[in-house]
Amino acid sequence: MLKRILALTKKEFIHLRNDWWLPAFMLFGGVLELMAVGWATARPISNLPLMVLDHDRSAASRSLVISLENTETFTLEAMVDDFQTIEDALERGQISAAIIIPPDYAEEMAASDGNPTLSMILNGAESVPATAALRAAEGVIASLNEKLIIKRLKLSPDEFSGFAPRLRVWFNEALSEALYTTPAEMGLMLEFTTLLFAALAFSRERELGTLEQLLVMPFSSLEIIIGKAIPVIVIAFTDFVLMLSMVHFVFKVPIRGSLPLLFILAFGYLLVELGKGMVLSVISKSQMQAFLLVLLFGMTDFMFTGYAAPVESMPQALQFVANIVPAHHWLEILRGILLKGAGMDVLWPHVAALAVLGTFIMTFSLRFVRKALD
Amino acid sequence: MTPAIITNNLTKRFGDFTAVNGINFEAKRGEIFGFLGPNGSGKTTTIRMMLGLLAPSAGDVQALGISVKGNQAELQQRVGYMSQRFSLYNDLTVQQNLQFYGAAYGLNNTDLKSRIQDALVMAGLEGRENAKTKDLSGGWRQRLALSAAILHRPELIFLDEPTAGVDPISRRAFWDLLYQLVADGVSVFVTTHYMDEAEHCHRLAFIQRGNIIARGTPAEIKKNMMQGQVLEIASSDAVNTIKILRAAESLDLQEVELYGSLVHVVAQNVEKKKKDIQKLLKKEKIQIEDMAVIEASLEDVFIASMK
Ligand SMILES: Nc1ncnc2c1ncn2[C@@H]1O[C@H](COP(=O)(O)OP(=O)(O)OP(=O)(O)O)[C@@H](O)[C@H]1O
Ligand SMILES: [Mg+2]
Repeated sequence: MLKRILALTKKEFIHLRNDWWLPAFMLFGGVLELMAVGWATARPISNLPLMVLDHDRSAASRSLVISLENTETFTLEAMVDDFQTIEDALERGQISAAIIIPPDYAEEMAASDGNPTLSMILNGAESVPATAALRAAEGVIASLNEKLIIKRLKLSPDEFSGFAPRLRVWFNEALSEALYTTPAEMGLMLEFTTLLFAALAFSRERELGTLEQLLVMPFSSLEIIIGKAIPVIVIAFTDFVLMLSMVHFVFKVPIRGSLPLLFILAFGYLLVELGKGMVLSVISKSQMQAFLLVLLFGMTDFMFTGYAAPVESMPQALQFVANIVPAHHWLEILRGILLKGAGMDVLWPHVAALAVLGTFIMTFSLRFVRKALD
Repeated sequence: MTPAIITNNLTKRFGDFTAVNGINFEAKRGEIFGFLGPNGSGKTTTIRMMLGLLAPSAGDVQALGISVKGNQAELQQRVGYMSQRFSLYNDLTVQQNLQFYGAAYGLNNTDLKSRIQDALVMAGLEGRENAKTKDLSGGWRQRLALSAAILHRPELIFLDEPTAGVDPISRRAFWDLLYQLVADGVSVFVTTHYMDEAEHCHRLAFIQRGNIIARGTPAEIKKNMMQGQVLEIASSDAVNTIKILRAAESLDLQEVELYGSLVHVVAQNVEKKKKDIQKLLKKEKIQIEDMAVIEASLEDVFIASMK
């Protein structure tokens, strides 16, 4: 039995070596993707183009514009004379934000009962920059407000004390997108690699016409499944370790929790996806069909991983579905261990969910594939 | 000894389409049994049922005296198979393919070594162990596939159109190997649609649209199925000869077919019609170089029986 399994595994590795570009593509494709995502999201958002329509043209209004520029969130695209220009620029996507300073801005600032106003227009079509712009503008205005109050109360700045919140962001101090996206990206790549190679296991031989030959050989269906699973596991796990090193050393994503725990859970998750991939493999008549099925399943899972949109803000029904998607629990575990240093005491609901789903999926897959092979 | 294969009312339906329709035949041990039929007639479907890859819709099949159903594990060790579509891994070398077959059948290392050597000799591939299988030409590849299929020394082998798309000399070489196997006591079940190969089989079954329409030795089939005799005509203009003879209804000819550069005429009492044919062709200014009643070939028989 062992000998036959090894013979099959050896044959699979020879295929992989001959078709080296496929594993290479998955490995380096994954790493490249990570680099692209990592670098694109590594730095906080800055230099958003800003247009200013200054009806006031006073020292006060100029100082406001300079304060906005000093945040580094904005760069001044242009000072303009009419609203039409702003409208056009926004429509073309040339600018992210515009502010309109009314003619009485300086006057209202100076008067002791003045009521200065200001309009700001944001390009909501790009919600991430718009949010960053809003945050930066609110900061500038809050400090202007503080100065105004100090002046009106006729105090010196040292005498003033007000509400001074101390905000701290845990787990991702710099609010760096890279810390959030790269682990998710890596987790998904593990899913894709496993699914794809598992899906090719049988569809490839069926397409080439060699599957029948394999089936008349004295392999038991279990031997075939194990023999074909080993190479997939080796490739997917290698891929995971490489990506983890990359994320850790290049993007400085911390590994705060236990590395052995992470590896054990990654391995468990990998087996679940392996089972799924093999089912896709035996129902596919060709490699292309298997590939498309992987894409379909991968995309559906992607939706529930909380990567594109937080699961918490989905409708109730979809939130429930997310709970039965193994990739969702896997990404929670991955982020938990990497960023929060979480251990089993915290992660157990996800681990338990993964174990239950995994047992279910693997039992089903094993039955299904064995039946298809007999 | 029990027959190599017995089928009993073997039937396969795909939906409401019947691919194999209640066939019965027996293949003896140590013989080449030929399974003949045009494309889509049900040859591969029948083989797949005999191997247990496909469950029959009705009827059953025995191989080597045991029922295929439920005994696949035992039969797998005693039976070999060379599938219609390529049965070797193209990206593996000759040696790697043979090693995989050997290991799959659980041969130990010393056996495996000597058998791989035998297989290489048999396929004529000594010295080319490290060639990629996809780089071999069709004839070599099929001989290698056969050597691989018998690496575990099966008592019965199934070959599904093993010589399709192979040149005549390689086909001859392949059949020489089959005769060697039979001489060693192996039973061979082979499908083909080459008539000349059919003549080389010990026993035949002819399948058409899922039904066996003839069975027996080549000689029996010719005797039983052929109504009438074959007249072979060598003339100065074969194409016009056919036109003229087909148009001549008064002669009551069953078949008029081109056979290479010759014309074959099939009819009852053809000897008596020779004179009329001669007369007719002379009138049309076609010269007859030679004309003789010959023994029918299988091709004549099948063309006649397909009408
Ligand atoms: N799985 C299947 N589902 C539906 N129809 C099938 C299936 N397998 C075969 N058939 C049909 O059954 C018929 C017989 O097919 P089979 O492959 O046995 O023919 P064959 O004699 O081997 O032909 P060829 O010489 O082309 O190999 C064909 O019409 C084929 O389309
Ligand atoms: Mg066929």
